[in-house]
Amino acid sequence: MISETSQTDGRDNVLLVETSGLTKHYGRRITAVDDLDLGVRRGEVYGFLGPNGAGKTTTLRMLLGLIKPSSGTATVLGEEPGTPAGLARIGALVESPAFYPYLSGRDNLRVMARYSGVAPSRVEEVLQQVELSGRASDKFKKYSLGMKQRLGVAAALLKDPELLILDEPANGLDPKGMADMRAIIRGVRGEGKTVLLSSHLLGEVEQICDRIGVILRGKLVVERTMEELRGREEGLLVRAEPLEEAARVARDLPEVEEAQMADGMLRITADPARAAEINAGLVNAGVRVSELRPVERSLEEMFLELTGGETV
Amino acid sequence: MGASFMAELLKLYKRPAVWVIAAIWLVFVVLLAYALPYALFANLPQPEPSEDVPAEMQSEMQAQNEAASEQLMSQLYPENLVAYVLSNISGTGGTLALILGALVVGSEYGWGTLKTVLSQRPGRLVAFFAKMLALGAALVLFVLLAFVVGGICSLVVAGVQSATVDWPSLVELLEGLGAGAVILAVWAALGVFLATLFRSTTLAIGLGLFYALALEGLIFGLPIQNESFQDARRFFLGQNSGFLADSFAGSSLQQPLVPPGPDIGAAQSALVLCLYLAAFVLIAALAFRQRDVA
Repeated sequence: MISETSQTDGRDNVLLVETSGLTKHYGRRITAVDDLDLGVRRGEVYGFLGPNGAGKTTTLRMLLGLIKPSSGTATVLGEEPGTPAGLARIGALVESPAFYPYLSGRDNLRVMARYSGVAPSRVEEVLQQVELSGRASDKFKKYSLGMKQRLGVAAALLKDPELLILDEPANGLDPKGMADMRAIIRGVRGEGKTVLLSSHLLGEVEQICDRIGVILRGKLVVERTMEELRGREEGLLVRAEPLEEAARVARDLPEVEEAQMADGMLRITADPARAAEINAGLVNAGVRVSELRPVERSLEEMFLELTGGETV
Repeated sequence: MGASFMAELLKLYKRPAVWVIAAIWLVFVVLLAYALPYALFANLPQPEPSEDVPAEMQSEMQAQNEAASEQLMSQLYPENLVAYVLSNISGTGGTLALILGALVVGSEYGWGTLKTVLSQRPGRLVAFFAKMLALGAALVLFVLLAFVVGGICSLVVAGVQSATVDWPSLVELLEGLGAGAVILAVWAALGVFLATLFRSTTLAIGLGLFYALALEGLIFGLPIQNESFQDARRFFLGQNSGFLADSFAGSSLQQPLVPPGPDIGAAQSALVLCLYLAAFVLIAALAFRQRDVA
């Protein structure tokens, strides 16, 4: 049973992935995932972030039924994790791509297509999609890390899945490969599908994700949209000439709480929704405004703040 | 199940290690099971009778020696094809099957491909039993290969020796094929069981070979006539493989240096082997289904 959330933010609010109190212990001392409540909505790209060893991959493995939770529940596409009915609609790349080294890339996909019950013609389609057709006849053991990663994504796309689970898909990819990966993910999302993406590349996540969840020591510490995360710091950045005059004028405007010059720009503490009035006030005072935008913290800044500086 | 079975067949067909094992098996049958024994039996040293032995006794001794050589040589003739090939299957064939079984499952853990397979569609038990079916199909081909190649070699030996060519009956051939398949299957299942238990290929092969060669091969190979010691043989995998193979042999194939074992018929040894087979496969399936895939 797929549940619906009460949120209405323009996106579909049906939860395709939902966990409740999901916990995984290894022995008595190690808790890899601790009471995790996670929700991935239909049609979104969900970024799953966390430092090394935070429990990201363990969570994804539990969602695929590869490992069993110690307690708690998870539903994926309305099914229990690991059931054939659910897996038939999920494409996944978990951790490093693992294939048969003695088989070519094409034959590896043929094997996976047989397991998935997918028509063999899909193999060539996904090879083209990840731009691996030219090397598809080479043995997997001869592939570079980037090519292995592409093959892993190709295997994940084989079933034309409703939900794509990608664990560090940009690992080992060069800049073009990373751009291609972003294009693939955006393409998948453009088809109305859902992507659950775990990554340590914050820049990548920032560019393609609609929402992120940050996991720390097995616990989900935050789950918000990118807009919500960025909007937490209220303020505007203004590029204007002369800058000193702009600062003086801004301080006198009723919408502005504070105005400071930094790095050749004016940083104004104010509600970003009042940007038009502030702009008009500056222009009317004879200040030439060439840029005015809300202050946005980078995901890295937010991540470091949330995780207390633990390495991603 | 069908689609997963086809996936497993494709993997086996394309895997060089499977062809290497098949080639070793082929070379073993041709060279070690037929060519070398033939060379040995055809060139057995004939003891020179001393001069003080009467002429009639000398010719009688020569006739006895020739009869002994011919009896040994007759093992290689087509009429003894089933028993002779089975005796090789229960020894070297079993060892190779153990290695194959360990490779088929253990490599999935080593390469980490299990997570890729199980993230596709099949349930765990479907994936496991598809693997077992494909392994079984490969083992049937191994048995067929042994019988076909053995048949050709026996025909050549009979031709060279100008012996009459008498083939075993179709029933005996089919029974032999079945017995060979059971023997190889139970050894392969031991490999699968160990590989699943230890999630490793090398440890599974190492332990399997230790059991087959050191434990069963050495201990039960000792010429100990103690009744309890001999009775214990009826419970062991390798011994029952041998008993099943020996049940096809006539007196000409009994090896004089091996102590007589307990009186175990084909049905009893086949039953013991099938119980081992079922236990190995079921325990491995349970472990495969229940354990986390790291």
